[in-house]
Parts: sequence; C-alpha cells; structure tokens
Amino acid sequence: MRRLAGAALLLLAASAARAELTLRSEVDAHKIGVQDKLQLTITVEGSGAPDEIPPPPLVNLDVVAGPFQSSQISIVNGRMSRSFTLSYVLQPRAVGKAEIGAVQAGGQSTAPIAIEVVAGAIRPKEPQRQDPFGRDPFGDPFEDVFGARRRTRSETLRVQMEAQPSRSRLHVGEPLVLTYWLYTQAAVADLQFKEAPQYAGFWVEDLEREKLSPSGEPATLEGQSYRRFPILRKLLFPTRAGTLTIPASVFRIGIQRTGFFDAGGSIERPTKPVTITVDSLPDAPGFSGAVGRFKATASLDRDTVPLGEAATLRFRVEGTGNLKWVDRAPELLVSGAKVFPPQSKSDLRTTENGVSGSRSWEFVVVPETSGAIEIKPMAFSYFDAGAGRIVSSETSPLTLKVEGGTAAAGAPAAPGLSAAARATGALPLRSELDFHASWTPGARLLTSLVALALVLHAGLWGLAARSGGSYRSGGAAPSRSVRAALRELERVAREPMTKEQAAALVEKALDEAVGGIKDADDSERARAIRALLDDVRFVRYAPQLGDYSEKVKDLAARAAEAVRRWA
Amino acid sequence: MGVSGRGALLACLLLAAAGAAAGPGEDRFREANDLVRSGDYPKAIGIYGELARSGAESATLYWNWAQAATARGAHGESLWALLRARELDPGDRAVARDVERLREALNLDKAEVAPEPLAVASRFARRYRLDLVALVLLALSLAAHGAGRLRIAPRASLRIASVALVLAIAAAAVPLAGSFARPTAAVVRRGAPLLDAASPSADATGTLREGEVVPVLETSGDWLRVEDNAGARGWVHQADVRRLDKAPEPPPRG
Repeated sequence: MRRLAGAALLLLAASAARAELTLRSEVDAHKIGVQDKLQLTITVEGSGAPDEIPPPPLVNLDVVAGPFQSSQISIVNGRMSRSFTLSYVLQPRAVGKAEIGAVQAGGQSTAPIAIEVVAGAIRPKEPQRQDPFGRDPFGDPFEDVFGARRRTRSETLRVQMEAQPSRSRLHVGEPLVLTYWLYTQAAVADLQFKEAPQYAGFWVEDLEREKLSPSGEPATLEGQSYRRFPILRKLLFPTRAGTLTIPASVFRIGIQRTGFFDAGGSIERPTKPVTITVDSLPDAPGFSGAVGRFKATASLDRDTVPLGEAATLRFRVEGTGNLKWVDRAPELLVSGAKVFPPQSKSDLRTTENGVSGSRSWEFVVVPETSGAIEIKPMAFSYFDAGAGRIVSSETSPLTLKVEGGTAAAGAPAAPGLSAAARATGALPLRSELDFHASWTPGARLLTSLVALALVLHAGLWGLAARSGGSYRSGGAAPSRSVRAALRELERVAREPMTKEQAAALVEKALDEAVGGIKDADDSERARAIRALLDDVRFVRYAPQLGDYSEKVKDLAARAAEAVRRWA
Repeated sequence: MGVSGRGALLACLLLAAAGAAAGPGEDRFREANDLVRSGDYPKAIGIYGELARSGAESATLYWNWAQAATARGAHGESLWALLRARELDPGDRAVARDVERLREALNLDKAEVAPEPLAVASRFARRYRLDLVALVLLALSLAAHGAGRLRIAPRASLRIASVALVLAIAAAAVPLAGSFARPTAAVVRRGAPLLDAASPSADATGTLREGEVVPVLETSGDWLRVEDNAGARGWVHQADVRRLDKAPEPPPRG
C-alpha cells in the first residue's frame, strides 16, 4: 500500500512538472483568394492559462467575425488541464502578401504567419451541413442494436458540484470566500455555467486564479470517494444584515469519450443553495463603515511653507477589509488655514482575507496666517470583527510652520474645540449639573389666561356701567374735562354775555365735569349739584327783570367750587 | 408654629426633596465628566443621554455632551447638543458663541441652522421670561382696574390698568408667536440620506448636511419627514437626526 501511495505521489509530481503553458497560433490556409475567408485559431493550454489574449497585429487582413471563445477543462487519468481557444474569421484587403503577427500571452510568443493572397476565390465553398444518413456518421453504429441505454453512461456518472462558503456567519462588510468545487470520478472534458450564479445582497470580487493542482485532491462526498478540483472562487462582502441565500448554480459538464463506442456527452449538476447569516454593524458617530483591520497615518509633504503657498496633507488608511467601501476621508479642519476637498488614490488588491492595500486622500492646505499651525489628529473608526467593536485609529498631530506675514496670534478659532479648550488643552467641562425646573406656562395656558384677563376687564367695565359708575354718571371725570370746565366757568365770570348764554355755559361745564345726576341719588354731592343746577336754570329761564351779572358770577363761582370738589 | 415657621419648614422639605432627586443625577454627571477627561467619550455620552432621558436636562449637561462629541469628532452631534442647550438656556453666551463657531467650522450658512424665524421669537421669550412677565402684568392690570372701580386713587389706578394690559398683551404675543414655529431637528450623521419614503429600501433623493437644522413636518415610527434648506422634502431615519424641541428619546431597538 505504501509503495502504491509513493508511486502515486511520483506520478502526480511528474504530471505537475509537465503542466506547462503552450501557446499556438494556427490558420486553416496559407494561400487564399482575395474573396476567400481565413480562420485563425489561437490556443492556450496548461494550468496557468491567462484569461485574456490580445489580438495579434494584422497586415492586409481585416477581422470580419470573432473573437469566438471557448474553454475546456480536461481531467484524464486524474490529471487536470485547461485549454482556452480564440477564433477569428479574417478576410484579405487586397491581392499580395498578408501577415498575422506574433501572438503574445503568458510570457510566450508565437511566430508570425505569412499568407499569400491571390485574385478571386480559390477555396472550395463550404458544403451545406446535412446528414444524408439521418444520423451522426461518427455516432454509435450499434445504437439500433443495443438501444439508447448505451448513451446514458454520462447520466449515471458520479460527478457533483458544491458551493462551499468559508464561513456561514459574519458581519456586514466582512469578507467570505465562496469556492465552487467539482467532485468527479470521471474524465471531464468541459465545464461551464448553465445559469450564472446570483449574489443578491453581496458585493462580489473576483479572486485571483488559484494555482490548480493538475490532479486535484482526494475528497469524500456523501460517502463516495472523489477527486476534487476548485473551479471558481469569489470573494463576497454582505451589504445588509439578515439571512442571505446564494441560490443554486447549475453547471453543464462535458464528459470525455473513453472509447470508440462511448459517445461521451454532457450532464448538468446544480450546487445546493448556501445560506449565510449576516449580523449588523454597531452604529456610532463618525464610523466610516470600514470593516477589518486598518491603520491611519497622516503626513505633510513639507514642514515649513511660506505664507501664501500650499502644503499637501496626505491621510492614508492601510489594512485589510472592505476598504473599497470607504469612499471619503474624515473631515479635516485646520485653524488658520483653508482646506480644499481631497483627492483620493487607491492601491488595492483582492485577497482571501478581503481587499488589502491602502487608500489615501490628499488635502491641499493653504495657510492664512503665519506661525505654527497645529493640525489635530485625524481619527479613522472601523469595525474590528475580531474584537467585535468599533475601533478608532488616530494619526499623530502635525505642525506646519508658516513663514512670513503677520503672526498667527489672531488666528480664527479652531473648529473642533472651543476657545477655552484650545487655551488650556483640556475640554472645558462644567462641573455642576444645574436643574432647570422653572415653570413656564404653555401657549394654551398663556392664551387662556390672557383671554380670561380680558374677560375680567370687560366684566369690570360692564359692572361699573351697570352700577352707574361711569365717568358720565358720577364717577371721576378725566382731568382734561375738569380743566376745560373750570376754564368755561372763568370765562362766564370774566366776559360779558347774556344770562342765557352764561347759564348755558355753566350747565354745560357742570355736565362735562360731574356728569348727570340720577334721581335716585340722594348723596350730598347729588344734592349740591342738583341745587346748583336749579339755580342756573332759574337764572336762564327767568324773565329779564334786572341785571343778573352778579347772580351769574355767583353761579360761576359756586359751580367752579362744586367742580373742584365733586368732579 | 407661626406662619414664618411653617414657611421655613416647607422650604426645608422642598430643598431636601430637590437634593434627594438631584443626588444620583449629580453623581452620574460627575462620573460622565470623569469619563470624558479619561478619553472614554462614547461611554460618557451614553451617561449624558441617560440623564437627559431621565429628565435631568440642562444647558450644562448638553454643554458637556457637546464637548465630548466634539472630541470624538462627531461635529453634528456636538452642534445639536449646543443647540439643545441654547433651547434650554437661551441666555447662555458661551453656548451661543460655540454654536456660531461650530456652524462656521461645519461651513453651514446661518439659515441652515435657523430655518424657523419664529423659533427666534420663542427663544427670546424664554430668555426674558416674557410669558411670566405677561402673567404678572395681567394680574397687575386686573388689580389696578379693580382698585379704580373701588375708588382707590381711581384715575391713577385706571391708567395703570390700561398700560399694564397693553404691555401684557404685547409680552404674551411673543411666546405665542413662537409657539407657531415648526419643530426642528439637527442632522447628526454626515451624508445622511433623504429618502423618498419612510423605508430603508426607499430611494435616496438627496443628502443632508451634517449639523443642518431641518423642520420636522411629520413623523411615522422611526422616520421623520423633513425639509432641507433647499426645500427638498423627504424622510430621514431618526438615528440620523436629533430633535431640538424635546429631550432625546431612547435609541431604537433592533
């Protein structure tokens, strides 16, 4: 048994050594007519075949169709090899010489191919494809005898496909490697997707092609022994939390013929759906959204800069994770300088552990004052999945010396910290918690109270009017009315006028100053005013039997006294 | 026990009750301040938030919250805390200075942090306690009017009543006008999306600026419908903004 294992290892080593890259460039004719077409076939074989082959330079030839691509994976006697073929259909431009230049791929090169182009068409017309026998001439001639069961060998072959995630639970933004494995007990001639895989809810990156082992590796699946080959690897980053499912992918697998009577054929094998549980990220202010492990650094392109010139500050984040998601740098605020929006640069590569490399942002800083300008540390926060928490990586503080101009003592306030903080270097915290328990009436209560006050005022006015307390009915008269009444009464005593005029003025002055007297009012004031008014009316309506001037003066004096006393 | 004795006892009881209520809050406040000094800003902010939600809101609390948020690099949250401090104590000049400084640092226009002009009237009324002034003047006008009706210096009383009533109405008009201001919220997350529906899967119609103050038009669950400075209306998640018209709410679960 040990000898057998040793022999197998030697065989594998030998086959691996043979697995080298071969590049061929072939045409189906070296002499053609100007009306003919020429087929160019470029073939790459070996385990390190590149994905893309640049077209060769053409002289006197045009590409009229192609390139047509095909790839094959062959596993023969436990050895795996890949071939990649490109086909072009070319047509000459004119009679004469034509040339297909060297094809270069994978570090190898083919020789140029010379073509002779003659007038007209010299190649036979391609016959119409038809099957005169009604069957494939290279098919199984004994199919009619043994029936179609002979074709079903491929359907019973033990060939399986599996999509295997590197882990089934992770956080949003963490990387996951999804490997598609081919498990086979037979030689496989060709393998391709029938249905392209869908990765809803994931950011997908292609991993660099792994160096394939030509003979695969032994593996057991559902109790059966296979040789296993990695076919495809994808790096997936979940973009949302929850349970995400990668649906089944269907592969079409070509089975190689093993003999003259074996038709070979192709089979279809699906993978099983893969379910991934994705946990959400914690939320925190300033969190960049980066997941992985990173280190932030900052540097200036110069330490000293003349006033009026600019310096460049480079903020760089380096590490492994979902660095492609980080699309902006932390805000840079520099006291005494104007900072312009940054330009970003990336140097990233995809690995199994995520996207590695660095991203950097370059800020142009233009000092506005001279002196030493302090640039505060810049923080880059990311989620460290290993630690399960958000971690902040801070850069070192930087100092930019600005020469020339005026001193920077009057520089504007640093935007991040308050004036007190910049002066002392410490945060200006307040130490006593003042409880603001002062009561304030709400808008509704205030409106209600104002309305209530207005109602009460109106009520007081109404009450006074009802009880005869208005100014016109015995209440206090405005001082302006009193003064006017006294002036009228002085005029009555001073100026010559008829007794009717004088009496009318006195009555008017009394009415303006003390108002009307109600009949029910029996106060001293009412009685005095009523008596005075009786005398005034007597003088006014009495017949003119003599001189009333003294009487009028006496009434004016008594009225003035009443006004002063009762108004 | 006389009237003065009863008053003293009542005052002592009130002080004792206030002390008992403030004790644990003061301890937590000092603990948060120590955490800030030691550099543990997230935990300190957590305690400040806990105190604010428990009703111990004050300009001092929000001032320290703003300092911790600034040190942490959360300028939007810092501006919100300062604006909230200004709401509680509009007369605090240090808060007003830092609001202005942070506004300039965030490159925000004045209109972007004061989208509601009536809110200025509201703050002015709170600063000078115009509501209480109006109530005192109303009481004075009623008392003077009553005295005039009782013929106690009637002319002077009625004149005082009239003047006091006019002043009271003028003083009450300011806070009443301020009460018509729409509620506002400050954006605390840089690049917070403005969505066309109250759903995480909705399309983003724009981006809000960190520190920008936006009027809140309506709320629906964890979502607020707001209007940005350019007039664009949309929905924003409550985790991306903080209300200025009321104390912080507990963080959304899940």
